[in-house]
Amino acid sequence: MKINTENLKEDMNTVSKIERREFLKIGFLITGVFAGGTVLSLASNIRGAFASTGEFTEKYPYKPHYSMLIRQNLCVDCERCIEACTKTNEVPSYGYRTIILEKVVPDAIGQKREFIPVLCNQCNNPPCVRVCPTRASYKDKNNGIVMIERKKCIGCKACVLACPYNARYFNEEVHAIDKCDFCFDTRLSKGEKLTGCAAACPTGARKFGDISDPNDFVYQMIHQIEKQVWVMRPEAGTKPNVFYMKA
Amino acid sequence: MADESTSSKKSTIVGELARSINPTLMSDLYSNVIEFLSGTRSFYVLLVLGLLTVFGASVAGLDAIRMGYRHAYGVTREISWGLIISTYIFFVVTSTGLCIVSSIGHVFGVKNFMPIVNRAVFLSVVTIFAGFTVIFFDIENPFRMAIYNAISPNMTSNLWWMGTLYGAYMVFMAIEYVLLLLNNHKFATYAGLAGLISGIVAHSNLGAIFGMLHSRDYWYGPYMPIYFIASAVMSGCAAVLFFTWVGYKVNNEKMDKPMERALEAVSKLTILMISVLLFFTAWKVITGLVGAPGKQAAIMATLAGPYAVNFWVFEVMLGMVIPFVLILYTRFKNINVSFIASAMMVLGIFFMRYDLVIVGQIVPAYHELGINDVPALLPYMPSLHEIIITIGGLGIVASAFLIGERVFRGHKDSGVH
Amino acid sequence: MDKKNIFLFLIILSISCLAGPLMLSASDEVSHGGDIIYDKPVKAVLFSHKVHAEDLGMGCDSCHDGIFQMASLTVQKEADFTMEGLSKGKYCGACHDGSMAFDSDSQCARCHIGVKGYDRAQGIKSGE
Ligand code: HEC
Ligand code: HEC
Ligand code: HEC
Repeated sequence: MKINTENLKEDMNTVSKIERREFLKIGFLITGVFAGGTVLSLASNIRGAFASTGEFTEKYPYKPHYSMLIRQNLCVDCERCIEACTKTNEVPSYGYRTIILEKVVPDAIGQKREFIPVLCNQCNNPPCVRVCPTRASYKDKNNGIVMIERKKCIGCKACVLACPYNARYFNEEVHAIDKCDFCFDTRLSKGEKLTGCAAACPTGARKFGDISDPNDFVYQMIHQIEKQVWVMRPEAGTKPNVFYMKA
Repeated sequence: MADESTSSKKSTIVGELARSINPTLMSDLYSNVIEFLSGTRSFYVLLVLGLLTVFGASVAGLDAIRMGYRHAYGVTREISWGLIISTYIFFVVTSTGLCIVSSIGHVFGVKNFMPIVNRAVFLSVVTIFAGFTVIFFDIENPFRMAIYNAISPNMTSNLWWMGTLYGAYMVFMAIEYVLLLLNNHKFATYAGLAGLISGIVAHSNLGAIFGMLHSRDYWYGPYMPIYFIASAVMSGCAAVLFFTWVGYKVNNEKMDKPMERALEAVSKLTILMISVLLFFTAWKVITGLVGAPGKQAAIMATLAGPYAVNFWVFEVMLGMVIPFVLILYTRFKNINVSFIASAMMVLGIFFMRYDLVIVGQIVPAYHELGINDVPALLPYMPSLHEIIITIGGLGIVASAFLIGERVFRGHKDSGVH
Repeated sequence: MDKKNIFLFLIILSISCLAGPLMLSASDEVSHGGDIIYDKPVKAVLFSHKVHAEDLGMGCDSCHDGIFQMASLTVQKEADFTMEGLSKGKYCGACHDGSMAFDSDSQCARCHIGVKGYDRAQGIKSGE
């Protein structure tokens, strides 16, 4: 290797000086819009997910209390999770249970792109369950997963409208609404420990676990005071069980 | 019939009902059929047209079931309630409005409103039926609905309340109409009251379906249920003015004084309700402009975006402002002008329902994240199937109205006794 | 008229006509290798010659003298063309180590354009 490293480093220093100045400019101009965004702001940390501060360390209503942690910065949009989900749960081509959103910020310094996996948040206060006229959508009493009893689904799509996360769609093949159930039917109930997507994720961006178990990785990651953890659309008051952070 | 009320004290309901079915009823019906067959040619042309649209819509609906709604309709995962739902809402709002307006005369005894009662009650049954018919083609599994609505009810679901109460409402209104035909006004009033209560509760629940979706900024809040009731009364007034006028034209008759006075009273109520709705609309817009970003985006779409023509031309001008000016200008006296105003309103109100349903869904779920590749506002375009089914729904109302005018002889047998 | 001059003129003319585009296209190719998109093991990573060679002004031999071949996607056949390989200082990791350039263990979505970026690139290519 014949890289003139000295030269390069000098170059890099000048670049980073400009970068630093640029960053300060941007930082001052649009604080709160650029860095945090309106949803992913400091206010929407774990406390947004539970009614009170006490609640999140105290007790979780379900056992196991299934939960997913998304370490957003690790997602590289390889979409192996989507492939795994589609195969495991026979998701038709026109639908999806989970997707990855792409956010591009052209005037950001350095990395200008962010990938944000989204799925059903298995809310503790699920609007979809409330609106369902026939109780086809229900919250499982043991593990807190929002499930669908297909034969009761009348296909009115009120739950599709009620969901703040766009997590539901009508599946023609089974003639009912379909959504993520943390692979309960296809994996968890058969003794698997992980959801299809979490098992397929090569980067550890998706971590699946039980937030009522102090030995669980997800529990340990979420219950750190110095880490910022947030949920999607906390203003909807749904108390999600899918958490986001940067590793 | 006059002696009926004096002897009814001790009699049972059954007895009273039996008495009211007097022997002349059969011959009445017979002569009604004769009357029906002696209509004018234009009447039959209109009727055949109406029935053809119903037939066309049935074909389109069955075709949609065969294809799958996903293919047949313009709805998407993001905008899953489209034209058919908005048409359903148009019909049930009109029905509830007709029920409320008729109840002013029939339940609350305001004399001026009596002459319009029969036609209004008849049409409220017809419009709710049309509403149920079109929504049949939007619910994916309507037969499961019949079963699980009953055996697995969810008491926290506005949709469940709405469906169940509207079912009851339709039965009450139908009973009321039959009792009106039988001239049994006492029980007709009870049925009317039951219909009114179930209709209003059902209708406010319909508003609450939208108002209680806290993820949808455009709809969320107590505004929706209240707005729905107010706009139902306005729709009911417009429908009464519209159909009464057309009814007299169809029968080629001149209105008598009580009927003219009734329409004048309805015109006054119309003006009142338009004023109320103008305030509702204005404050909805003004509050929305300082609201959550999602709400602002939706409001802007109606003010200056893709729904601006719908909003300004149809909702505001045709639906409210022009009728308001027309009716006020003629001092409620000119029935023909009131009719033209009501026809504009019916059209405008149809767009109100459409915008209400669609605009609430056009802001994407994750709009605040600034996701690229997702448009700022999601598109929706009704498909041909949806449009044909909608026209068929209107055809049901038109045909039933025309047949009703003939068979029930212009609904003359009203509650003025 | 000087026939020789005309002849010379014609020769010069035809040479320049032929060589002009040739030189242009040659210089285009020689300047660098354009964008290279890796789709294995994961979809997808974008390497941009424009950024490295033009904007940052690196010489060709800082890479094409041991780290990379001058043939696209050759390196993708290597078993250790992975994040582990990179963190051991191989391939992109030779520079992307946190001191010379940003660490390959950071800013994942700066190199990774994902399936979406890949599809977009394909779409543009097939659209042409
Ligand atoms: C920062 C490192 C780097 C620099 C500097 C660089 N290249 Fe490359 N080049 C690469 C990589 C990586 C490849 C792809 C190799 C592979 O995929 O196996 C490549 C491939 C190529 C190819 C093959 C492209 C193809 O489509 O097959 C050409 C030609 C090339 N480079 C020319 C140049 C020239 C000329 C320069 C100097 C102006 C240059 N490169 C500078 C990294 C570099
Ligand atoms: C010879 C050293 C070298 C090699 C090898 C190298 N890079 Fe870089 N790369 C750099 C430098 C220096 C920068 C600019 C430094 C910074 O911004 O931190 C850079 C910047 C980048 C950027 C940021 C561009 C931007 O506009 O933000 C990307 C992406 C990148 N490299 C990808 C790669 C990939 C992928 C490879 C391997 C295929 C690779 N690089 C190999 C030196 C190198
Ligand atoms: C300097 C550019 C660069 C950065 C930064 C980078 N990668 Fe990669 N990554 C690559 C290249 C090159 C490959 C191999 C080509 C491919 O798989 O498309 C790769 C492959 C991978 C793979 C598949 C191979 C393997 O190692 O399992 C994963 C997973 C991966 N990267 C994850 C990440 C994560 C997570 C981050 C952030 C912590 C990251 N990458 C940051 C360049 C980069």
